[in-house]
Order: sequence, then structure tokens, then C-alpha cells
Amino acid sequence: MTPRETLESWHCAGRKVVHEADAKDLLQRIGIPVPKRNPAEGRCVAKLCHDDYPHKSDHGLVRLGLSPEEAKRATAEMAQRFPGGTTLIEEMEEGSVAEWIIGCKCDDTFGPIVLAGPGGILVELIDAAEIRLAPAKPQTAESMVRSGPGARMLAGLRGAEPADRGALADLISRISVFFAENADLISEIEINPVMVRADGKGLVAADALIVLSPKTDQQENLT
Amino acid sequence: MVDPDTNRLAERRRSVAQALDGLFDPGTIAVVGASRTKGKLGQAVLALLKSNGYRGKIIPVNPSGGEIEGLEAVRSLEEIDGPIDVVVLATPVGVALDALETCARLDVKVVVGVTSGFSEAGEDGQENELRLRRIMQNASFRLVGPNCEGVVRPASDLQLTFSPMFNDLRPGPVAMISQSGALAGLMALRLGERGVGINAIVSSGNETDLTAADLLDYLGNDPQTRVVLCYVEELRDGRRFAEVARQLTKAGKHVVAVKGGRSRAGSRAVQSHTGAMAGDDRVISAVFRETGVIRARESVAAVDAVTALASGRQPAGNRVGIISVTGGLGVEMTDLAESAGFEVPVLAETTQSALARYVPFYGSVSNPVDLTGVVLANPTYVGRCLEAVADDPGVDIAIAIITFVPDQQFIEALAEAFDSTGKPILIVWTGAARSNASGEALRERAVPVYDSPARAASGLAALAATTGEVS
Repeated sequence: MTPRETLESWHCAGRKVVHEADAKDLLQRIGIPVPKRNPAEGRCVAKLCHDDYPHKSDHGLVRLGLSPEEAKRATAEMAQRFPGGTTLIEEMEEGSVAEWIIGCKCDDTFGPIVLAGPGGILVELIDAAEIRLAPAKPQTAESMVRSGPGARMLAGLRGAEPADRGALADLISRISVFFAENADLISEIEINPVMVRADGKGLVAADALIVLSPKTDQQENLT
Repeated sequence: MVDPDTNRLAERRRSVAQALDGLFDPGTIAVVGASRTKGKLGQAVLALLKSNGYRGKIIPVNPSGGEIEGLEAVRSLEEIDGPIDVVVLATPVGVALDALETCARLDVKVVVGVTSGFSEAGEDGQENELRLRRIMQNASFRLVGPNCEGVVRPASDLQLTFSPMFNDLRPGPVAMISQSGALAGLMALRLGERGVGINAIVSSGNETDLTAADLLDYLGNDPQTRVVLCYVEELRDGRRFAEVARQLTKAGKHVVAVKGGRSRAGSRAVQSHTGAMAGDDRVISAVFRETGVIRARESVAAVDAVTALASGRQPAGNRVGIISVTGGLGVEMTDLAESAGFEVPVLAETTQSALARYVPFYGSVSNPVDLTGVVLANPTYVGRCLEAVADDPGVDIAIAIITFVPDQQFIEALAEAFDSTGKPILIVWTGAARSNASGEALRERAVPVYDSPARAASGLAALAATTGEVS
């Protein structure tokens, strides 16, 4: 199946919110790095992904810094509390220098847009995201990591190592193209956070969410 | 099933360019609702069209016929022989809809619908709106409005409006598109007062057919247009508007836009941070910046920006030289310029010595230059000093600040200084109303003249940043 066919099958199945595990599978197929799954050693993240509970932390469905064994026990416990979910055990990303949010949506006036800015808990604190029309060309994506207050963080504040802005710009461009091509099926797509490593070391999408467009018959019912 | 008749008519539908070519240089205009009764829209439209000197054929349409404003009226559009370039609808909504149906059967290029009572009237207008849309499906003409204030083109002496706010404009490089007729009037009057020339003004009203993007495409690409000023509340084809704006600004034209109102869809529930972070207003600012549109926070700031851009002079950099007949205004202008990201550098030695010939010891020849009140007795001094500052290789934009002016020579010398340089010049004239001098020499040259440093700062911001915001 192509990524678009996957989206279509989800759409046909009536899914509205596509949970993290499935969203990451799809992102990986369009060339976006995601964390290694089910590692045999090292520190892990344990999650339970469920379309009905996109805000996992609110329901205690994310646990960090576990051993692989602990992670298995944790996900088993979560699965009991929330039947129908998909368990996810991933390598915990510890080498990042910046957490970024990348999102796409259809604006009522201008159509597909892409947004990039300080992510993780910082989205709650500051309003520093850069916004462009989607699809964003590589050159435009490059300007998004070099403009606005966020650019200073990526360049390395107070002697910190600069982040891999090239990899981040590539991700922005890639996801914006994918979104714009499939905006009839997707209403929002978001990676939050992207863990950006130091320059030259790449990045990894730590969490992701896809919101599908309402099916056409549902849209008609709305209006 | 497709009605074969519909197909045939749809094929006849004129392109935007064909229709607007006809609109802006029309040979024949029919005014439906033309009236002898003062206070009626149709009376005002006809009177303004005549008094502004339109030289083509005007045909009043009134069911009782006879003579109106010295012109022979027809009883119905159908009595007119041959093609009609423009039909203006200035009647109550029911009569206007009947006339639109007639237009669909005749050879009409454009209808300008001043009439109200459609979608803007909410539920009360719903039936009229439906009927209008049905007529438009089969029409070969294109529609401006309805619920608009009309169309103005000074070069064609064309004044298709009931509002006197657009009188006495001179032809020039500014095109204006406004979804609000009253704001179009406000901006036109102020641009006119400053001598800024107008290529065309379209009050686009409800945009049932022709949209702001259609008009931006047409007017922006007109070789006469240097700046397009837009007031928009709801962009129906926003993506196209943005793409057209991008293409125009890349080609070196300027687009200044005021976006009024908030989208009603803005409160819709969102599932992600992206939805919450990319609110309507932030997206508008971002897209305008990306496509090179200068966003003005309100209409007067937009006029200030357009005033500066219309002169067609582009600064090479961000260094401002300021001369003032008073210290205080020079200081305020300097503060505003610096906080908008401009430099107010020390002037070159040669400039300072040139200025020293005019400035007394208690003034200042650094930047801002304080000429002091001594210049009131020497009416050409300000002009000479402006020339010296504009001539400084370290200055990209020169600003002259004057208060009340006791002598016409004062203004003439400033106009000469403007002619002596190719650099952008802004003038702050705080006391035009208390001056024994006319600003006509400045208006003739479209010199940007402002009544306060803050307004000049809006113009300054627009000059330097072809992208960005002015407030």
C-alpha cells in the first residue's frame, strides 16, 4: 500500500484521530526518522496508543526511562486499563539539543499551511512558531528554521551546541508536501516533539498525531 | 441533466480581463434606477458620473422615461440598441434582480451592483441571494458587488458611485480594492488630499462573482499600477490572492493590505497544538509576509504606507537623515525611526559643513539636524538643507520636518530639493492648516507628506520593508 492508500483505508474505516503508533509507521514511510522499536537494552519509553485518547499523558499512558522488561510490564498494565489500544515500546531519545513542533493544517482562508516552532512543553509558554503556505519548498523550510525567536534556540543559546537545522528543514519540507498532496484526507498532522540532535546528527519524531478529514457524507450532514 | 441553453451561455461568459477592460474604459454606461429625485442612489450615481466629466455615452434607465440630468432616458434596458459596456444597478433589490435577468439576455460586459439586500442582509436577503446566484449561472456578463460602493477610474473620468468621497482624484499609480465601500472612501479621500494618483478603485462588495483575487490579478498586472491597496474582511479565494500577490511583489510591485474582522470559523474546536497555534490572525500575518504583502493594521496606516510607496523611489538601505525646524519633532522622528529598525547615522563632514552655512550655533548639524526657528526668516533654507542631507552618501532616506510655513517659497524650495535627488524623501508638515502656503507643488510631485512623525514612520516602514507590518 502507498501512504495515500493507507490514509484512504483509515478514512474508509471511519477513523478520525490516528494514534501515534500508526501515525509514526506512516511518517517513517515518507522518510521521517522515528525511534527504534522494542529495543533489547537501554532506557525505553512505554506508551499505549489509542485513537480515542490522543492526549496520552492525561491518562497515564506514557512512562519514561524504563528498562525493556519494565516497559513490557507497563504496557501490559496500560492495555488492561484501556482495551483496544496499541502498545508501543521505543528507545528513549536522550541526545537531543532541541524539541520542536511541526504541524500542518488547512487554514480557512489560505488552505494548507505548515507550522514549525519550539515544541514539547514550550508550546504552552511561547508563541514563536513560523508559519508558511504548504507545500513549503526546501528553501522556504530552511527560512523557517532560521527566522523568528526559535532560530536562536536552534543556533545554540549561551554556548549550547547548534541543532541539526538541515535535518529539521528537510522534515518540514517533506511533511508539508505530504500534507498538501493529501489535504483532502488529512485535516491536521502534527509531530510534537521532534527531538533534534546536534548538527549533523539528525533527529527523531518522538510523538505524532494525524487527524483525518470528516468523510464526505459527514461533512454534508454538518452543513 | 444539463440544460443545453445553460451550456451555450456559460461558453459566452466573458473572461475577467475582457469584462474589466470594458469596465475601465467604457463607451456606453446604462444607469438603472436613474432618477430626478435627490437622495436616491440612482440620482447621485448619474449626477456624479456627469459632473466628473465622463465623455462616453450615458443612458439613464427609468420606467417613466423622459429626460434625467439633461439625458434622454430609456424605459428599459431592452430599448437600448447594441452592446452595453457597463450597467450600474442603483435600485431596490427586486427591480435590480429583474434588470439582471434582462442583462443576461443582452450583450452586457459588466454589471456594477450598488444595490443591497443580498447575502449581507442575512435571512432576509437569502431569497434574493439565491435568485442572484441562479441568474449568474447563466450570465455572460461579470458582476462587481452587489452591495458595493462602485468603481472609479480617474484617467477615464469614470465615477460609478453614489459617494462623493472619490471626487477629484488624479490619475496615478495606486489601485485600490476594498470589500468595504466606506473604507474605500476614507482611503481615497486621504490619498487624494496628499496628491497620490489613483489608477482605479473597485469597491468589491459581496464579491458574488468578481473577487478580490480577480481584481488584484487584473489591477496589479496593469502596467500603470505600482501599488495595490486592499481592504479585505473575508478572502473567499485566499490561496489565489496569496499566489497572485507573491507574483506581483516578485515583479517589484507593492501590495499593501488591511485585513478587517475575524473569521467566524476561528472558534472551531481544534484537536492539535497546530490548530491552536496557527490562529487566523497569525496565519494572515505569516502568509502576507511570505508573499511580500505589507500588512497595515488599519486603513490610515495603510494610506501612510501607500503614500510613501506611490512615489516610486526605493531606498538603497535603512539609513535616515532627518532635518527639523524644531528639536522636539526631530527627536520624536528619530525615536520612531530607530524603533522601526532604521539607523539615524552621523552625517558626513562635508554635509555638516554645508549645513553649517544655514544652521546657527545654537542648532545642530549632526543627525537629526536642528535648523532652529532661524529658517522661518529664510524660506529657502529648509530646501537647501534637505538637498545637502539627501546628497550625503551615508543617507538612504531623507526626512524634512516643518511646522507652520509663513511663505510659499518655503514649499517651492522643498519641491526643488525633492527634484534634486532620486532618493526617497518624506516630509512631515505639522501645521499645513496654519500656513500661508499651498502644498500643491508637493502634491504635483506626489511627495509623501505626513502631518506627524508617527504617520511618517508608517510610510518609512513600508519603504524599507517590502514585507512586514506597519501600524
